[in-house]
Amino acid sequence: MLDRHEAHDDRNLGQDLPQRDAATLADRPLADREVPLPGMAAANEPALVIHQWLDGETSEAEARRADAKQVDLWKMISSETEQRRRMTTPSYLAANIMAAIPDARTEATMATATATSTGTMVESRSALPMTMVLMLGAGLFAIGIVIGKML
Amino acid sequence: MTEEEPTPADVDSDQDVISRILAGERDAFAMLIGRYSDPLYRHALGMTGSPDVAEDILQTSFIKAYHHLGEVRGRFDAWLFRIVANGCKDWLKNIRRTHLSYDEDDQPSTFASPDEDLDRTELRQDLDSALAQLAPSLREAFIMKHVEGRSYEEMADLLATTVGALKMRVHRAREALQTLLEEKYD
Repeated sequence: MLDRHEAHDDRNLGQDLPQRDAATLADRPLADREVPLPGMAAANEPALVIHQWLDGETSEAEARRADAKQVDLWKMISSETEQRRRMTTPSYLAANIMAAIPDARTEATMATATATSTGTMVESRSALPMTMVLMLGAGLFAIGIVIGKML
Repeated sequence: MTEEEPTPADVDSDQDVISRILAGERDAFAMLIGRYSDPLYRHALGMTGSPDVAEDILQTSFIKAYHHLGEVRGRFDAWLFRIVANGCKDWLKNIRRTHLSYDEDDQPSTFASPDEDLDRTELRQDLDSALAQLAPSLREAFIMKHVEGRSYEEMADLLATTVGALKMRVHRAREALQTLLEEKYD
């Protein structure tokens, strides 16, 4: 059985061509070569047991009986992968992301500004709360009275 | 479980949080970042081998997700994972890499003795170097299984493929890594 899930990978382009360049094939990454896995597994029983152990399907003792050296190698690799499993996102990253996403109010203002031209000014002024307009008017009226009395 | 811990009913579902964000509660997006940034960072770090690149991919992916939140159909975590995974694959396609390793300053060591630290650094670099030689789909499968600690079923769900295909990818990745590392560490 050939590995078909790699068909979309650029590295596998041209693998079905009848004339394959041996030198090019030799340069390709080891893991990228087509290998009939079931046949290999049958011929390499210890490797299968190691996979089963790594997948949690059999005990370490069983795996050691099959290939102790491989168990030691994978325990070492596992110690490193487990170390990586504890890595966390740098603390500043969440703040950076939040700073980079637009504020809803800013976004709305920007959208209004770009959507219209001069009419926008009038529109946004008329959108001011009525109480604020009244207070502003009253304030200006009071200032006018004070200035009038001073003159 | 302690009394202080929230029960599942107390925790807003992703869909609830998304609804709040779409209703204008922008700051609720920080909850989604908090929930998913760590596993996604580990994925991006494993795939790229560079903390800086992993951070860039994560930041770009979350911003992209924010702008397209209204398009989420189904599980948000799976949707977000695909954005990050595609970001990693795009980066791998575009970059011409020579050697990448973890920046020691970014991830301070927790090992006691200097000798142990040196051994660990060497193993880390060798593993990075070996992972860099794997095809992206094999590296992805290995990282998800062994670094992120996901089950085959979860991986199949996230990658929209079968458990059998993923087992095959993981097995191939292991065999390749074994071949690349066993000579030195035998």
